[in-house]
Formats: sequence, structure tokens, C-alpha cells
Amino acid sequence: MRLRCGDETFDVQLREAKGTFEAHVGGLEIRFGLEPSGPGVFVVRDGTRAITLHLATDGPTVHLSWDGVAYTLVREREGARPTRRHDPGALEAPMPGRVAAVKVVPGQRVARGEELLVVEAMKMENALRAPRDGVVRAVHVAAGDLVAPGRPLVEVE
Amino acid sequence: MRVVRTCRVLGMEAVAVFSEADRAARHVREADQAVAIGPAEASLSYLSIDRILAAARETGADAVHPGYGFLSQNGDFADAVRDEGIVFVGPPGDVHRRMGDKKASRRLMAAAGVPVLPGYDGDDQGDTTLLAEARRIGWPVMLKPSRGGGGKGMRVVREERAFAGALAASRREAMGAFGDDTMVLERFVERPRHIEVQVVADGEGRTVHLGERECSVQRRHQKVVEETPSPALAPEARRALCAAGVAAARAAGYVNAGTVEFLLSPDGTFSFLEMNTRLQVEHPVTEAVTGLDLVRLQLEVAAGRPLPLAQEEVAPRGHAVECRLYAEDPWNDDLPSPGRVLHLSEPEGPGIRVDSGLDAGSEVTVHYDPLLSKIVTWGQARPEAIERMRDALHRTVVLGVATNLVRLRAIVEHPAFAAGDLHTGFIEEHLSELTPRPGPPPRAIAAAVAALGLLRHDGAPARPPAPDPWSSLGPWRLGEGR
Repeated sequence: MRLRCGDETFDVQLREAKGTFEAHVGGLEIRFGLEPSGPGVFVVRDGTRAITLHLATDGPTVHLSWDGVAYTLVREREGARPTRRHDPGALEAPMPGRVAAVKVVPGQRVARGEELLVVEAMKMENALRAPRDGVVRAVHVAAGDLVAPGRPLVEVE
Repeated sequence: MRVVRTCRVLGMEAVAVFSEADRAARHVREADQAVAIGPAEASLSYLSIDRILAAARETGADAVHPGYGFLSQNGDFADAVRDEGIVFVGPPGDVHRRMGDKKASRRLMAAAGVPVLPGYDGDDQGDTTLLAEARRIGWPVMLKPSRGGGGKGMRVVREERAFAGALAASRREAMGAFGDDTMVLERFVERPRHIEVQVVADGEGRTVHLGERECSVQRRHQKVVEETPSPALAPEARRALCAAGVAAARAAGYVNAGTVEFLLSPDGTFSFLEMNTRLQVEHPVTEAVTGLDLVRLQLEVAAGRPLPLAQEEVAPRGHAVECRLYAEDPWNDDLPSPGRVLHLSEPEGPGIRVDSGLDAGSEVTVHYDPLLSKIVTWGQARPEAIERMRDALHRTVVLGVATNLVRLRAIVEHPAFAAGDLHTGFIEEHLSELTPRPGPPPRAIAAAVAALGLLRHDGAPARPPAPDPWSSLGPWRLGEGR
């Protein structure tokens, strides 16, 4: 199975024999025991040591908590090409919200870090800033629009 | 929900109001009755005085507790409730209005001998007068809209040539947000601490303080970690500050529980900032050290009873810390991260209290504040409270929405936090250390893959745990078998 966490990709091979798992992850060989202990909760055993794994899935997304830290991984088909090339000049909505203000127009020159628009979510106004120096190529939203995460807002080239 | 619990202890019936977004929320389930008051949008539900009054009438409520957000500091709401012949659990409307106006409250405090920062709170709002006053105060100067809060329209002006532009921008923002562009000027204090005094007053004018809380660890004017007592105050300074808090409450004609906020300068002088005319989110730390139930005190005072305790009977013990768990992504510039909570595990143990409205399956919506829960720990002394907090945070699990949990742990583990070396820019100052990005350990990934395998055989867990009433209600989304 291939899992991605941010920019990192992990290929995992797993074998089970008599309740013991043997996994290969990034060149490491890891042996452990695993038992479910509640909804979304597992006990991972390494000899007499036990650590709790919390796990929840949402489609291809795997949320897990390990040693007090939560991680989000995405299952990928092995051999699949990276899903999409990220355009470093494209600004996407980082969360659902309402566009409170658009501060730039197409053709405008902007500096990295300059406020491009304001998205209101959860009672807070959040300034979204230019990812790099450049010229605003397109503005895809207007004040008052509701936006979903990932929706392209502004392109800077 | 906090209020429901105290009502239950006192044998009172509690009625919750809820918007469509909160139909299944914990406060709704725990209350004896619940009334739908409108759609998710707060302006049509939680901010609608008419709808809340209608709910109170419908259920024959004797009193309305306004909570901490929404209408809790709205004088018109307090008056409207009283005009219905219903008890409002808080001060009267004119106290809310007086303290909600920075200009008026500054004048009132200065007249009562409560220290205020060098500043200007005059009626002449002309550009030349404000500039002359700013010069007199000395740079840097803070521009504050007289009405409003949450940092909106506030600006620090470090030099004269930036003043005119900053003033125009602040006025514009204040007019947009609060419909009033009256400004107050104050000297800007570098690296201040935010320390506030909890007060409670009854209808007879008896006023006591319940000690102070330090809330210096903030991000964008939003408190993140609070504690009591403040590590910055020696006993003498604490007495002076708390006495000033009581004097401020008396000057305001205050009734019920309230908080007087002060700025503590690095030179040790403190100045009145503002008064919050409601119970505050961080009140549990005060409860932890005093053993008092603040909501109970609020209800007793609101019922017209005298304060059940004198100042000498307030005996704080030990140290308490609160961490606010927010649905905010520290790696995405602390932007809110709504979504569905897929899995939840909250800590418990000696000296740990969790005030949470969360369930597995809760939807964290864009409509309301991103505060998910408050984790409070108590210890005999500050180091023990911090150790317990570190452990409590380590055992807190929220999956499905990004949270600031890793940030909170980094704060309580930071040497400057341990040293009590705090100021309101603490998070900005240490931002990179407070935004760690650990990668998942290979063992965690291997175990997750094995766990996914156990879940995938037939869309159900290979060995389902014994059903219990707590888990069977939660969403069981693990076995979708994709």
C-alpha cells in the first residue's frame, strides 16, 4: 500500500503470521502485534511494550493518532502518477468560508505576502496572501461568494 | 452545557436553545428541554433577541443565562429579558453599554482611581486634535475603536508620518464593523502581559474578587493558554491588582460575575484594559483553585441572594492551567479547519477537567467559533499543573479536523513557558518552535496499514469490540472498504 503524508510518500509491504505483523516501510523492517480495543482504537505491541493507535478513515484519507500526535495520510494507488501538479501561483481556498473582500484586480502587480483577499470563516476574518511576487492573472471569486476548500480564488503569475 | 451542569446540581431544569447546526449537540442532549431557534447563521438564531425571548416564553423560563459568546455582553438583550419579567443572569443593560464603550469606561476608571494607560478619551475626534494627543502620549501609540473588540480596527502607530493613514484605516474598519468610528488613543506597551481579575458582586453592592488569571499566551487577540495564579505577580502586586479589579467593578456599578482586564507592563505597572461583563471562557481555572462553581454564584446573585462568601473566605489553593483546543491548522497559518470529528478521545485523571461540546461525529461548522474544547489541569504548584497538562494533551485525540493540539503541547513544553516568561507576543516570538511538523514514524504507518487490513475484510472490523452505549451512537466509518 502507498500512503502520502504531505510531500512524503511511504510504500508499505505487510505480512501477517500467527498474529504478528511484519512490515517493510522505507527500507525498515518492523515487527509488531496488533489488536482492536475499541471503535477506531488499536493496541500495537512490541514485545511487552504497548502503544495505542487511533485511526479513522474518510474515503482515501486515513487519520491516525500515534504517541499524542495526529497525522493525515492519503492512500494512493501504487504506480499512480502524482495526482496533480500544484501551481505555485494559484491561491486556493484553504477552508470553507465566505469571501469578505477581494483586494486585487486582474493585471495588478503584487508582492509576495500581500493581502489578496479576505475569507471569513468561524467568526474570524482570514487574510489570504500572495504566494509569490507577480501579476494577478485572474480573480475567480467576488465578495459574498461562498467557497469550498480547494476552490481556485486568485492566480498570480 | 457548562450552565446545564450547574442547574442539574441545583435541581433546576435547564432549557437549551439551538440552531439547526447544533440540533444534535451535547448541550442540547444534556438539557431537560431544548428549543430550536433558527438556522445555522447566528444572526438569525443565537443573535436573535426575539427568537430567544420566544423560546423563554414558550418554556416558561424563570431566568436566561447568556453564556460567553453571542449576546452575552449585549445590553439591549439584558434589558429585553428583564422587560419580559425574566431574570437575566448578568449585569443590567446599562452596565454592559457603559463598559462596552472604551472611551466612557476609561474615563470612569480614571475617575475611580483605577490606573489607566496614558491616553486620550476625549470627545473632540478631529484629526489635528488626535495627532496632537498622540504626540503628547508619545510613540508608539495604539489606536482603538471606542466600541468593539476582537482587535478589529486596532492599530499600532510607531511614528508620526504613519499616523494619518493608520487613523483613516482604523476609522474605516470601526465604522464597518461597529457602526461608530470614535477612537481612543493609548500608549502602546511593548511585551505586555494580559492579566485579569475575576470579580463577583451581588445586588447589595458587596463585591469580591476570586483572584487573577494570566492570559498572555494569545494569537491574533484570541487567548490560547490561561492560568492562575499569574507567575508574574508577587503577593504585594497581586493584592494591588485584585483591589484595583474590585474598585473597577464598584465604579461600574457591577452586579454578577465579571472580569476586569489589565495590561501588565514589563516595568511592573498595570493599567485597566477593559471589563468583560459576562462569565469568561477561561473561568474553569478560577474554579479549579477556589473550589467554587462560578455559574452557581451567578445564579444565586441573579436570584437576588447575597454573595454567599466574604473576601476572607476566598482561599485559592494550588495552580491551574487551561489550554484551548481550536479547530485551527497551525501549518496553514492558523486558519480554521471545519469538518467532521471522526474519532475523539478526551483525557481524564487526577487534576484534569475537560469542558467540551464535542462528540465523535460532531460537525465543526464555519458558522461558529473554532473552539472545540478546554482542557484544564490543576496541581499543587505550577510545575505539577504543567506536567499534568503535558500528559493530558498527550492523551487527547481528535481525528477528522486539524487542531492546534501540537501547538498547545509545544507551548507547555517550551522553556520560556516553564519559566513563566510570557507576554502577548509569546506565540509570534517563538512561532517556528511552536509549529513543529513531525512526520509519521514508520511504526505508526505500518500499524495503520495493518489496522486498515483488519477493518477491510467485509466492511466491518474483524473483531468488533463489545457494543457499549457510548460507542454505538458514534459514527463507525472505518469499514467502508474502499
